[in-house]
Amino acid sequence: MMDLDKIIASLREGKHIPEETVFRLCLNSQELLMNEGNVTQVDTPVTICGDIHGQLHDLLTLFEKSGGVEKTRYIFLGDFVDRGFYSLESFLLLLCYKLRYPDRITLIRGNHETRQITKVYGFYDEVVRKYGNSNVWRYCCEVFDYLSLGAIINNTIFCVHGGLSPDMTTVDEIRTIDRKQEVPHEGAMCDLLWSDPEDVDTWSLSPRGAGFLFGKREVDQFLEKNNVELIARAHQLVMEGYKEMFDGGLVTVWSAPNYCYRCGNVAAVLKIDDELNREYTIFEAVQAQNEVGNAIIPTKKSQMDYFL
Amino acid sequence: MSLPGTPTTSPTPMDEDIEQTVSVNTEPKRVKVYVLENNEWKDTGTGFCIGEVDESKSAYLVVSDEDSPTETLLKSKLEGNIEYQRQEETLIVWKDLGRKDIALSFEESMGCDTLCEFIVHVQRNIESNISLVTVKSSDNGLGSVHDIITGPVTLPSNDPEQNDQTLLEALKILNENTSFDFLKNETIEFILQSNYVDTLISHFHKAEEERIPKDLFLLSNIIKTLILYNQRDILESMVEDGRIMGIVGILEYDTEYPTSKANHRKYLGSKGPNFKEVIPLENEDLKIIMKKCFRLQFLKDVVLVRFLDDHNFNLISEIVMDLETCIIDFLQVGTFLDRLIELYDTDTLPSSSPEKEKFVQKRKDGIRLLQQCVQMSINLDALDRSKFYKTLVRKGLFKVLDYAFHMETDSNVRILATDTIITIIEHDILLIHNVQNEDLFKQHHKPAPDDKCSVQGNNSRNNNSNTDSKLLSILSTILLSDKSPGLREQVVQALNTLLHPEGCLGNSEGSYDLMGRSNNESKNTSEEFPSFGYGLNSDSINLNSYQYNGDDMNNLETTGSESEFQIMEYFANFYNKIAPILFGPLIKKVTTITEMTEMNNKIKKASKDDLLLIHLVKLVSFVCTEHDRVLSRRFILENGILDSVSRLIDSNHILQLRLTAVRCVKNIMCLDDKYYHRYMISKNLYAPIFKLFQKNIDKNNLANSCIQDFFRIIITECRAHQVGDHNEGEESNGTHNNNTIKGKVNADNNRTNFTILNKYLIQTYGNILRKATYVPFIREMLEIAEESQPEHSIFENSVECENDVSVNMSSDGLTSNHLEDIDMNNVKRLHSEIEHFDNDPHYSSDQLAFKKSADQMNAST
Repeated sequence: MMDLDKIIASLREGKHIPEETVFRLCLNSQELLMNEGNVTQVDTPVTICGDIHGQLHDLLTLFEKSGGVEKTRYIFLGDFVDRGFYSLESFLLLLCYKLRYPDRITLIRGNHETRQITKVYGFYDEVVRKYGNSNVWRYCCEVFDYLSLGAIINNTIFCVHGGLSPDMTTVDEIRTIDRKQEVPHEGAMCDLLWSDPEDVDTWSLSPRGAGFLFGKREVDQFLEKNNVELIARAHQLVMEGYKEMFDGGLVTVWSAPNYCYRCGNVAAVLKIDDELNREYTIFEAVQAQNEVGNAIIPTKKSQMDYFL
Repeated sequence: MSLPGTPTTSPTPMDEDIEQTVSVNTEPKRVKVYVLENNEWKDTGTGFCIGEVDESKSAYLVVSDEDSPTETLLKSKLEGNIEYQRQEETLIVWKDLGRKDIALSFEESMGCDTLCEFIVHVQRNIESNISLVTVKSSDNGLGSVHDIITGPVTLPSNDPEQNDQTLLEALKILNENTSFDFLKNETIEFILQSNYVDTLISHFHKAEEERIPKDLFLLSNIIKTLILYNQRDILESMVEDGRIMGIVGILEYDTEYPTSKANHRKYLGSKGPNFKEVIPLENEDLKIIMKKCFRLQFLKDVVLVRFLDDHNFNLISEIVMDLETCIIDFLQVGTFLDRLIELYDTDTLPSSSPEKEKFVQKRKDGIRLLQQCVQMSINLDALDRSKFYKTLVRKGLFKVLDYAFHMETDSNVRILATDTIITIIEHDILLIHNVQNEDLFKQHHKPAPDDKCSVQGNNSRNNNSNTDSKLLSILSTILLSDKSPGLREQVVQALNTLLHPEGCLGNSEGSYDLMGRSNNESKNTSEEFPSFGYGLNSDSINLNSYQYNGDDMNNLETTGSESEFQIMEYFANFYNKIAPILFGPLIKKVTTITEMTEMNNKIKKASKDDLLLIHLVKLVSFVCTEHDRVLSRRFILENGILDSVSRLIDSNHILQLRLTAVRCVKNIMCLDDKYYHRYMISKNLYAPIFKLFQKNIDKNNLANSCIQDFFRIIITECRAHQVGDHNEGEESNGTHNNNTIKGKVNADNNRTNFTILNKYLIQTYGNILRKATYVPFIREMLEIAEESQPEHSIFENSVECENDVSVNMSSDGLTSNHLEDIDMNNVKRLHSEIEHFDNDPHYSSDQLAFKKSADQMNAST
């Protein structure tokens, strides 16, 4: 068995993880994730976290500000990878926590957890830089396919990366998806990961080219039909870290401060206590540090030897 | 300020006196002269304006009266820091040093142009402090837009002695100068023509030595500002040998991270990426280009990664691409590639052991080099790519691959070799084939009239299919023998590409003629003979066409259809020779002692390798879905592959594999192919799915969802058939009476693969299904089964014919009249439900198609 604590320590320092280790981590994670439903059950108290996007050092801050995985339960709403320079370390760290504390951390798939998107937005490139080939990317993509599509807290709060789908309007219907696949370009599985709330009267075309825009009416219907109180989702940058909409029926949580190292936004996580009270914690980007406390400037790794 | 009007009278012929006095200066242009008095523009007369430079090098705007040319209406010196404004097209307005406001209103904009050019000339050559700006009302009509045409440009001090003052001033100037194109261009000119960047670099070394952080951060901001000028020449000059270290050194300092410093120089220096010459480059220019290319990428990806905006990023990418095109071009001339590929000649291995080791390392590096070349070529345009890959193949790329796959044992090197292959075949799947057979083609282009081709390919083309299948065979062997999971995934990707019929077709031109024809000729027999269905084109080629006589052969060759035959042969060959090896672990062997060969041992071992089996089961899905149905089905059924797949569901294998096997069964079920359906029912291949379902019946997990999806497919297909039949009835029959009769007929037609399957599943596994009625699809399955009320089991027949199902495929063994006695009530009930589902978007038949396409995508990733 792997020494997870050792790997976690290495990851927190942004150190290189051997390909073999990544492979075993990924394989073990698959087994764990397969036991979870498309919409997995989670109990309070729990802290809901939005997009991370490879900002490893901000992820460490997130854990620090919100209690840490040793003490607190977490749901991550997807988009662990792309954009930032430490997609691999961020995702592997979450996987390690998942393996180390299976009941304390729930990982949901985001629209960036796909082969197609990661090839364009940085994760693939990052892996090739760090390993000289794409193997590790392939292993991670295989894990993406096993991630849950949503979570439900105390049967009262529905968590999803993007939003709702006109094709499947109940949690039970979502359970009938065979989720082990690349995210399709349309259909319920796609919509859950891609849709956005908007001030619209009914389902509308999304400018993203995938998923839908949905309004208060769709949210109210979903809440009533499924007997839930809140939809918690991520997927959209919110400068203030979080944004409630539709009389508090939906909230967007964003957890990547100073997104892309330049947006200047703050980040937030949402803690739900046993009485279902909502408590937001705001945090900012801080200067990254290495293991001995020296500052780190986030950057990409240059390619290795070159012949041309 | 109210604008003066322009003169309206037509110009008089030019006076000769004026002509003489201005001939060295500008042509006279007709204007009205205004001066501002008491806040009102006063017309002081109409005349001809010239720009004049006298002997003492003083420049003037002179207007002489049009009525009395000797009389001067205006003589105004261009001097000091006068700012001339060109307002709209025909006005020049300024305030002279005596604070007098003057305006020239030209009759034509051409005249105004001429005098503006004169002002520019004077600014450049005589009075450098005057300026000319244009003022135009903005597009939205509100406010105005200023632009500088010429004027004094403030430039940073290029004094070798720099300090925080000069640097701060320079930063301010450089930023301000970006606001107008004129200033920006002048500044760019200054940067490129002077040694300003070198001045900065030398001050940087001083500031770093003396630890002056203020200067260091200013320098960093100055360099960044220069990069924001987004100018190709500046960027290229920064990465030259003499500057690159200075530039990245300066950029190690960043005001955003005031307490830390990057280590770019260290990286580019000894510890960082090294430029390795596997084969010495003879061309020095090429070396320079390669270095430039690498450094620009380093700037883009590492040094400036958080800083560049889209424009900068695109410009650098553009430059890099130009350089890459240039590199790839260079590589193809001269002997570079020949010398590289010579490394893999089998007889070149040195005898002494340290030499040998070095040489083996060189061969590894050569493969890495080739992979980088091919990787670099991805951004090139398609023609350049084809040209480069053809050159590679002609010069002997296969020799390198042979080495990588047969001699080399390092998975990492094999991965790079596979990557190279994937890049080439994904660009053009026939390229390797075509180039390799160029010579053979010439030899065998005109076969003898009696040289008939056969499915086995025992003919002149035998060589071709051998070279084709070589790659497939190599890849299959690697998949079965190499343990590296990453390499396996890559190999599967390569196999998917090589085995994708549309990929083969997409690149073969001039083949449509044959396809259309053979399609017509073979329509009725396409089920009996192996044929190649090309999906979207709904064309199929029958292997019958191999029976064409000599005349036809010549005909076909002239229409360029040779490649069609090769594709057919290629797939026939795949199923004859490659597939039995590739799918070996899934083929049930009748094992005798003599057959316990080494290969069988390997297969036995492989059949316990779950990760390998996952790939193989996915490949089964792929060939069943994508390849010609008859050809692939024959192979799949004759070798009992589905039996093996089904057994994998009910096993001690890892759940990932078991669910992959369930998905394979689902995919094949989705094909709606009666032979597969009949086979799977008669062989009871669904049983393990229900066993798995029973174990997960109350669980909220992936296995449960995966099987719920199985039920969803069945019910969606059953409903789709009912809805389809129902609509048909509605359209063609107006009266109620006919409708019900038709309804009965349609109910008979409902004996589709899926309704039969549904009925079978309910009968066989009803006890399990009834425990899971929380699944809406299962409730519907039960309802549908009840609707048709069978009197007796429909599967008695199928159980009887279990043993000969694969032999007896063409006879329809399952058409017993089990649905004949449906009563009218049931038919009506059916109708009312149909209406309901018709309105439910969830049940649209698109779902299935979309599921298929998603699965395809999964199979190919």
